[in-house]
Amino acid sequence: MSDVFDAVMLTLLIATAVSVARARDLLAAVVIFSLYSLTMTLVWQHRGAPDVAMTEAAVGAGVTTVLFFITIARTTRREKR
Amino acid sequence: MKAWSLLLVLLVALPLVVGVVNLPTHDAPDAPIHTGVGVRYLERGVEETGNKNLVTAVLLNYRGFDTFFEVIVIFTALAAVLALPRGSAARPGGFPEEAAHEADGAGGRPAEAAREANGAGVPVSPVVSYVVRLMAPFMAMFALAMLFRGHVTPGGGFQAAAVFAAIFIALGLVLGPARVAELVPDDWRPWLQGAAPLAFALIAAIGWRLTGAFLGFPTDDHTAQEAMGLFLEVGIALGGGVILARLFLEMET
Repeated sequence: MSDVFDAVMLTLLIATAVSVARARDLLAAVVIFSLYSLTMTLVWQHRGAPDVAMTEAAVGAGVTTVLFFITIARTTRREKR
Repeated sequence: MKAWSLLLVLLVALPLVVGVVNLPTHDAPDAPIHTGVGVRYLERGVEETGNKNLVTAVLLNYRGFDTFFEVIVIFTALAAVLALPRGSAARPGGFPEEAAHEADGAGGRPAEAAREANGAGVPVSPVVSYVVRLMAPFMAMFALAMLFRGHVTPGGGFQAAAVFAAIFIALGLVLGPARVAELVPDDWRPWLQGAAPLAFALIAAIGWRLTGAFLGFPTDDHTAQEAMGLFLEVGIALGGGVILARLFLEMET
């Protein structure tokens, strides 16, 4: 069961990481990146590191996402090719 | 170009994969994590530091020096952002202080003030506004719990700081950054922004006086030890929270 959980989570991590790199819409990229952080939170918790999980959830999924949003609001939403 | 990118990726990925494959398994008794300083932390950490949460023990006590310079890094990041000149890309709305006065003049309901203050002219969704205002006190309670129970349960100053900052940011999005900036009095702002490094410097000096070592903790006096640890946690939480929130306000206004 534990291995299945790990496998699902790691697959999700890779999938989200690749999607972030491929996304041309930066707003979508930030949302997917916050999903990456949330997945990482579950992995930390599952690995027995609740302190790191808390930090990942608050900083990775929370504060950084907002800072990225503001940056997009002040620059541009589309990545130039 | 594509071929070069692929080559670069392979050059980075190959050593990584080789390294990961050669990692010792979690249950290997001779793995470095089971033979180094970790053993001592686990065996004597609680007794030596008075922290039941060994993560806190390592962060504030055994590796206090690292943490000291980590908080200086966060402080320097804010200083660097504040030192940036405001370019022409800045949105109308001005500095938080000015916007605050405008919001005061506008009076009326918070949503109206926010529309005036955030300068984007986008009305705040009543659902978001209600949920944020409903959750804010609970988030504050959670942050306080993490702060003051951090030596026993998971959590501590840094995590509390992030949640404090999240409250500031969420309220700032709903009420407008100007009203949130008012929450921290101008006279206190420099002290709060530097709270984490200042707390560390003070504790380091006290530790020096008591034990003769920079950042030393008196191992025989558990009350003093716990008080010093708590002071550090409060400093980190206040300083870190205000710095993160200030970064947000600086970008938003």
